[in-house]
Amino acid sequence: MEGGREKEEEQDGVSVHSPCKAPPSSASSLPKEQQEVELELRLLEALEIYPPVKLRGVHRHFVLYGLMEFLRKSLDRHFSPDEVLQLLDRFYNLEMLKPDDEEIDILNHEEDFCLPQSYFVKEEP
Amino acid sequence: MGSSSKEETATDGDTSSGDTPPSNSNLFSEGERVLAYHGPRIYEAKVQKAELRKKEWKYFVHYLGWNKNWDEWVGADRLMKLTEENVMKQQALDKKQGVDKSSKSGRSSQSKPKSSADAKADKEDLKNTAPKGRKRKSDSGVEKDNSSMEKLVKIQIPSTLKKQLVDDWDFVTQQDKLVKLPRSPNVDDILTKYLEYRSKKDGIMTDSVGEILKGIRCYFDKALPVMLLYKKERQQYNEVVHHDVSPSTIYGAEHLLRLFVKFPELLAYVNIEEETLIRLQQKLMDFLKFLQKNQSTFFLSAYDGPKGVSEGKGKGKDD
Repeated sequence: MEGGREKEEEQDGVSVHSPCKAPPSSASSLPKEQQEVELELRLLEALEIYPPVKLRGVHRHFVLYGLMEFLRKSLDRHFSPDEVLQLLDRFYNLEMLKPDDEEIDILNHEEDFCLPQSYFVKEEP
Repeated sequence: MGSSSKEETATDGDTSSGDTPPSNSNLFSEGERVLAYHGPRIYEAKVQKAELRKKEWKYFVHYLGWNKNWDEWVGADRLMKLTEENVMKQQALDKKQGVDKSSKSGRSSQSKPKSSADAKADKEDLKNTAPKGRKRKSDSGVEKDNSSMEKLVKIQIPSTLKKQLVDDWDFVTQQDKLVKLPRSPNVDDILTKYLEYRSKKDGIMTDSVGEILKGIRCYFDKALPVMLLYKKERQQYNEVVHHDVSPSTIYGAEHLLRLFVKFPELLAYVNIEEETLIRLQQKLMDFLKFLQKNQSTFFLSAYDGPKGVSEGKGKGKDD
């Protein structure tokens, strides 16, 4: 049916809560849709460990690395940082997320550098 | 004066009669890093608040590397000063518990994402394996409490680089010398060189390495003024680094190496899956080996004498 756009909620297999548009429909789009859904579900699982708000703070690159790794393991293919960010963009407006600067973090506490004692102990080569 | 204060304890005990014994003195200050007992073990913690309650000082502590849901009020009896001696106590208890710092007890569930019902059950498991048996406040629900002390990444610094750090300490703190700034190569240069080196070796897939290097630069820029400077270097920092300049364009390998001493602590504040942490650790190790390989070109073998930076520049420092 090429007439008006079908509502996402009415499509089988697509979560009612998924805000993303289904890929351009074609005759054999079903497997592709399932892949997309699988992808999104995995991403949402990943976000339990790597909350989007952390992508705004000082740890963001390591959080992104964590997401890349999670998706790579779950879906058995490589994900570039940009791909991950684009995926996230379907669900979140990352720019709107406020970085939690007040969160207790070692980088909020100034102190002089101190080399631990263990460095001064002679080690066996 | 000389009224006995004992009779007054029935009432609100905040008013000290003035002749109360020193045990009511405030031993720990807000912001202080301490060692705290929890269960059978000792953890590094930070005092968030200190309050006198019923003639006793109570401290609201945050356990470093642990989710803030673990933060709690404790008495002075649970705390110790952060000294070498007490750290030994901590290590002794760790040994007694048979816990290797990199152990995986109770955390294998973390790599598998769960529904909230399962996650709650796992939280119970964690509660039993880790000694912290307290009821946990459930927070927003998104941040599950799955951080653990055991997750501190181990970053093994090669011995020649360790020696470099000791020499660095000696130059700055014992000989009053300073690294001449700006450095060449600077941190940016070094990270770029490393990416080139890895690209040649790995061919294409350098996405992960690239992201990690960005992470290192990001940490360095934020961490340098906060925790990577010896006291004697602060003045130089204020003179050389202005608001819009990033430290990674000014400082070099000497200070970058100090970042790696602090790296495990930095990573403790971000939750990362165990397997991923191991991969990350390997990549960081590889970077350190690269530094070691290029030690003679990246690191200074001598620092400038006192006031080495602005000698002859007429900055008019009043010391």
